[in-house]
Amino acid sequence: MKGLRERQNGKQRRDGPTSRPFAAFETVGCFSTRPRRAEGRRTPRALVLLGIFGLVAMRAAASDPSALDREGARASRLVSLNPSLSAILLRLGAADSLVGIDDYTARVLPELADRPQVGGLFDPSLEAVVALAPDRVLMVAGVDQEAHAARLEQLGLTVEIYANARFDEVLENIERLGRLVGRTGAARRRIDEIHAVRRAVAQVTRSRAQPATVAVIDRDPLFVVGAETFLDEMLETVGARNLSRSLGAGYPRGSLEWLIAARPELILDMTPSSPGGVAFWSRWPSLPAVAADRVLTLEARRLSMPGPDLDVALRRLAIHVHGAEIARSIDLALDTLRSAPDTLRSGGDGAEPRTPPAILEPGP
Amino acid sequence: MRRLSRRRMVGVLVALSGLLLLVCGIGLATGPSAVGVADVLRILLNPGDGALDPALRDIVLRVRLPRVLLGGLVGAGLASAGAVFQALLRNPLADPYVLGVSGGAALAGISVLALGGGAAVTGASVPTAAFLGGLLATALLYWVSGGRHGRSPTGLLLTGVVFNAFASAGIVFLASIAGFFEGSRIFLWLIGHLSAVEVAAAWVVALSVALGLATAIVLARSLNLLALGDETAAHLGVPVESHRRWLLLATSLMVGAAVAVSGLIGFVGLIVPHTLRLIVGSDHRLLIPAAALSGAGFLVLCDTLARSVLAGRELPVGAVTALLGGPLFIYLLRRAQARGSLT
Repeated sequence: MKGLRERQNGKQRRDGPTSRPFAAFETVGCFSTRPRRAEGRRTPRALVLLGIFGLVAMRAAASDPSALDREGARASRLVSLNPSLSAILLRLGAADSLVGIDDYTARVLPELADRPQVGGLFDPSLEAVVALAPDRVLMVAGVDQEAHAARLEQLGLTVEIYANARFDEVLENIERLGRLVGRTGAARRRIDEIHAVRRAVAQVTRSRAQPATVAVIDRDPLFVVGAETFLDEMLETVGARNLSRSLGAGYPRGSLEWLIAARPELILDMTPSSPGGVAFWSRWPSLPAVAADRVLTLEARRLSMPGPDLDVALRRLAIHVHGAEIARSIDLALDTLRSAPDTLRSGGDGAEPRTPPAILEPGP
Repeated sequence: MRRLSRRRMVGVLVALSGLLLLVCGIGLATGPSAVGVADVLRILLNPGDGALDPALRDIVLRVRLPRVLLGGLVGAGLASAGAVFQALLRNPLADPYVLGVSGGAALAGISVLALGGGAAVTGASVPTAAFLGGLLATALLYWVSGGRHGRSPTGLLLTGVVFNAFASAGIVFLASIAGFFEGSRIFLWLIGHLSAVEVAAAWVVALSVALGLATAIVLARSLNLLALGDETAAHLGVPVESHRRWLLLATSLMVGAAVAVSGLIGFVGLIVPHTLRLIVGSDHRLLIPAAALSGAGFLVLCDTLARSVLAGRELPVGAVTALLGGPLFIYLLRRAQARGSLT
């Protein structure tokens, strides 16, 4: 288990069951004890979009002889037990290396639905995984997954654990997976594009009003986007003050009373497969977001996947927070940044600074 | 059985009503935001006052008040149903779940949650399905447990246990095929919660609990005799089969409505009647209304804790009822054993 933890992007888990009394509940409720992404089934539109992205990427990879690294792939038979990892592989044009996926991936990424399925996110069939004889099993850090990883290792398989709670961790995953399947070039380009859009969005939204925001993952019962999550970082980048940070890390269960007392100016309701968000929140007319008609119901799958399209999600989030006209400003800022590529990277290593610009720090 | 005088009955019920009012007051004045007793009184006495902060009015009238009302109704329904079941089945472990009534309600509600798709989970479809599921489970139970020689408590109990196991298996199956978010909603439903309560739902629960409770109180004398055995009750003039049917219908009405709006809140139906038996005795003419008042107070108190102990965050009330009720019950049981009042 020690070796296993060391492979989690070189980091130890920040939260454990002892530090969070509600951890057991959160784990069963599919929100990892470690701040992690929120998932949901993709809608047909999102699926089509993702499918188009995937096909374009695959075509590009096939037509570009340099797409595969000279030294080739380090692994060619992969079983992925998480949709965000599967989505990255698909986007990098390495779908062929996926010989098995979890059931949930099959639901949210129909391009991969023909792959053998090995069970659920939290209860994969070890026998089905072993039968596929993979040279790597990919999974995301979490209490349940670690237990499965230990069993798979006992059965002689090589397991790689990925963390995807934070924005930078997702970028690291793209890089790691690119190396694993021999597509570092494609991975690098994807990461650079995400960096560029992040920088452009931050630049453009810097001078704009920063609405006090609550991002709702599920409205009844209420779950919100807390601190130390990639969604919180994205909110910060687009200039939205995330009020739910005060509730703690991850995706905490909030109370309605807290939300009303917090007086959010903007409510981003990402409750999946559930229309009626505006009607629900209008039951509390004192909410400034309701009074100002600033309750937005968003398609969760377009924002909450910690996958390869964080740039698309960031742009979309900026439009939701500041209005459609901001898209043009982002494009202009991107053009400027691309004309001076050095500005896209900090310290020349291509890594986005972990601390965002001071102007984006949350207000009181 | 202790002899029940009118004076004692009135005294106990008035005391419990006073306690319930006190707990409701605490529930209204407590929460994660800084809305205290003075604010609550001001808003309750003059809700239309334009000088009041609209957020305070929303918090008191549209968050706390519906929860206190619904918590009270659900608690009253579950506790009085538990008292009836324990007498009807002559089994101290009986509670609203043992007969599979709540299992049926949960299975129906969760079927809609898991399979119904997006539109289905937003409206009243889940509570409606759960309510109908509870009634259907009772009808099925009554029909299956009947034989040439009538229905025995043992037959009812065994059929209920089997049906409950079947319902649990169905719930596990549905949870395993449900999506990520549906799965987490199912989990919370299984623990029980009272979060975004709509006032309209409170009316349905109020009507169901009122009807069920009235039936149980009217038949309380028969219940005293049924607890002694079917033959004894029949010899003493109780129409056993008819009264059992009415009591089953009354309890399933209360449990179905409670499960429909709050999910499976455990322990209330088991702990409250037993605790009261230790305090006020086993005469159902007093026990049933006392269980309703105490169950209401207990659940309102647990829900107040659930939404207050972690500032801004919320615990499922079902977890609080178990955490609080279990040790309290064991304490009372041991005290009764030490005094020799329990054999």
